[in-house]
Amino acid sequence: MGSMRILALLAVLLALLIAVPPFLDLSWQNALVNVLIASLFALAFNLLAGQAGLLSFGHAAYFGIGAFAALHLMIAVEDGLAFPTPLLPLAGAAAGFLAGLVAGYFATMRSGVYFALVTLAIAELLHSLAPHLAGTFGGEAGISSMRMPWQGIVFGSMLEVYYLTLGWVMLCGLGLWAYTRTPFGRLTLALRDNEQRVLFLGYDAHRAKVVVFAISAMASGVAGSLLAISNETANYSLFATDVSAQVVLQTFVGGSTVFFGPVIGATLFTLFSFLISDLTRSWVFYQGLIFVLVMLFAPTGIGGILYELVRHRRQLDWSRLAWPALQSILGGLLLAGGIVYLTETAAVLFGQDYAMRRSGAAGALPPYELFGIGWEPAGVLTWLLPAVLLLGGGGLLVAGRRQIDGVRGRRSAPAADAAPLGGTP
Amino acid sequence: MHRLAFLAAASAVALAAPAQAEPLKIGIIESLSGAQTSTGRLYANAVEYGVDQINKAGGFNGEPVQVTEYDNAGGAPEAADKFRQAVADGVDIIFQGASSAIAGQLTEDVRKHNIRNAGHEVMFINLGGEAMELTGEKCQFYHFRFTTTAPMRVNALVNAMKADGDLGTKVYSINQNYSWGQDMQKAVEAAADTGGYEVVGEVLHDVNKIQDFAPFVARIKAAAPDTVFTGNWSNDLLLLMKATGDAGLDVTFATAFLDQPGNIANAGKTAIGHYIANNYDNAASDGKFAEDYKAATGHYPIFVEGHSAFALAQLKQALDTLDFGGGEIDVTKIALALEDSTYDSPVGPSSVRKADHQTIRPVVVSKVVENPKYPADDTDMGFQTVKVVPGEDAIYPVQDSCQMKRPGE
Repeated sequence: MGSMRILALLAVLLALLIAVPPFLDLSWQNALVNVLIASLFALAFNLLAGQAGLLSFGHAAYFGIGAFAALHLMIAVEDGLAFPTPLLPLAGAAAGFLAGLVAGYFATMRSGVYFALVTLAIAELLHSLAPHLAGTFGGEAGISSMRMPWQGIVFGSMLEVYYLTLGWVMLCGLGLWAYTRTPFGRLTLALRDNEQRVLFLGYDAHRAKVVVFAISAMASGVAGSLLAISNETANYSLFATDVSAQVVLQTFVGGSTVFFGPVIGATLFTLFSFLISDLTRSWVFYQGLIFVLVMLFAPTGIGGILYELVRHRRQLDWSRLAWPALQSILGGLLLAGGIVYLTETAAVLFGQDYAMRRSGAAGALPPYELFGIGWEPAGVLTWLLPAVLLLGGGGLLVAGRRQIDGVRGRRSAPAADAAPLGGTP
Repeated sequence: MHRLAFLAAASAVALAAPAQAEPLKIGIIESLSGAQTSTGRLYANAVEYGVDQINKAGGFNGEPVQVTEYDNAGGAPEAADKFRQAVADGVDIIFQGASSAIAGQLTEDVRKHNIRNAGHEVMFINLGGEAMELTGEKCQFYHFRFTTTAPMRVNALVNAMKADGDLGTKVYSINQNYSWGQDMQKAVEAAADTGGYEVVGEVLHDVNKIQDFAPFVARIKAAAPDTVFTGNWSNDLLLLMKATGDAGLDVTFATAFLDQPGNIANAGKTAIGHYIANNYDNAASDGKFAEDYKAATGHYPIFVEGHSAFALAQLKQALDTLDFGGGEIDVTKIALALEDSTYDSPVGPSSVRKADHQTIRPVVVSKVVENPKYPADDTDMGFQTVKVVPGEDAIYPVQDSCQMKRPGE
């Protein structure tokens, strides 16, 4: 796919992102702000993980540092410092960059597992230190401030925050993309593929890695500062491991081998938590299940699959693939339905409310309601339905996959790391 | 909550010209997934119970009160996110309890929201955030604290244990090193004169990270106190008590969270004879509320459920004085009515102190005994009431740092 076409696609997406939000309600605007922030964070993380091949387990550190830096600047603005509100993320960028330089200098001395552990340790260090440094991090309650008006813009409404976020995410996202196309960006890839060769070419690999680390930390800092602007507070929980883990999940589900893959993962997971987290308490389980399934059956992530499809669109026999693909999708949906049904049934049957009703019914199994329908716990239908869903869905999926493999002539999938960064010149 | 259905309903309401009576909307922003789920769930249960009671009596403003649960996953940033979601859903009153840090986040969010959206205020009823700053530096008109704080618990413990002759003259303070533990330590120091004791040692330790309390127990032993005050909760309390038991040290513990579900079962006989000060205990009441609660939910109220349900009952009293005639709900008026309300809870009256919106409330001091009226954790142990300290005796002065701006000022 030519880079012009990618740019055209991005332009359409940008137009939608600018035009649609005013018509959305407050909760969707807020969800989109979160999507944008998560996307930028995942892109920044992937610069290190996907492109430089350095898997960091502690990127929450730079995200959090960016948030606190922006917040301290916001407090100064609140106290009368003349600084334009839209430029607040610069504080996050600067703090993230500096922290990245220092942390990166030590972390990149090692690679692989040892690198991951050093980054994890640095994030944990901040996480346990922050609550005790009340002056900088505000104890466990954190620090808070308020967005100040600038040039007639009040920054009170979610929509204003959204556009501010959109601007910065676009700027940084495109900046990161442009970076991959510079000679140094190419060197980053070379560091991942063959560090020895980089050394022989006369480059200082350690210095290069530090710079990549710092740039990744800088963009993470911007993402963190955008969160600080949106939330107007930050506390030490930003340094927690689950923040670091979340970005890893999002990036790998989205696809770390394709430049914009992490955006897919970030969007998916953020919207998933927005739409599902208040519907069911099992949402974290589903999220984990999605991650495991993607890693097992599509290690290149969703972005990787899409990229493969687009790349081979002319070689693929779409008319013969359409039916088995549809069949597989249907099978997948049935399977998902079966899993959701069983999970939610288990949640009801082992839940507190049901235990109470059981004690009220003298140990018998009273009927319960799920998905707006009444069920009998010992009823045939109650257990026949998930069995049919699981077996039928599984059968359809396996059959569909077999047909797809038949059509594609059992051609082995191209090696994952051969896929370039969306748009070869 | 089906968002699509909600959107459809919202647009239908917007299109239909004469709107129906506006229901009062309550949002529970609680830790419903993650490490603090068990506590978060209890707060949510109690709020749901309280709302059911309001609705059984006819709801408010001609409509049943609506209640929605939002999962903050135990984190302040997620809570901020869910607060915005709640605002988008039109929530009027927010309830939360399972963390001071999250309470701090929410009270700030509420304050900013109300500055920016005058006429569409939201109020926050804090059921469990005990950090002093919530009614100090961060105090504000739309935040109400319906629980005790460290000085109230310590004052009540000192008061009751002294009367019981169990306090002694040497006291040790061991607490977690964050705002709550620091507040406890300060409260123990401050009560030394009235309690007639000397603080023979103080220690602040890491929160929920210590696996072996033996070194701390050795320090306690060296100081030879009569009573050890601790605000520790979860593992920090359990492991501390076990280590003390293993060392064969004979001290009385004065605690704040010994009634957390599972503590008594885990601590076993080591727990016997130790004290706790909390908002409510079934044994301290006539038992009517406990039975009602059990009839509705299947179990006696435990841990934070009792006092959280009372907060709703007090809110109900405030709502009963108001009539918006089915029209728009004015949260400021609800807040003003709540300020004036006094609720006769099963353990005594509770009222709101206008200067900082801390409730003046009774504190129950109990002792762990064998074969109590209400056994804890399916054991043969439980709490026996030593004394119910009335609100006036447990309360502390308003903090100087509280500069509350009242509506219209």
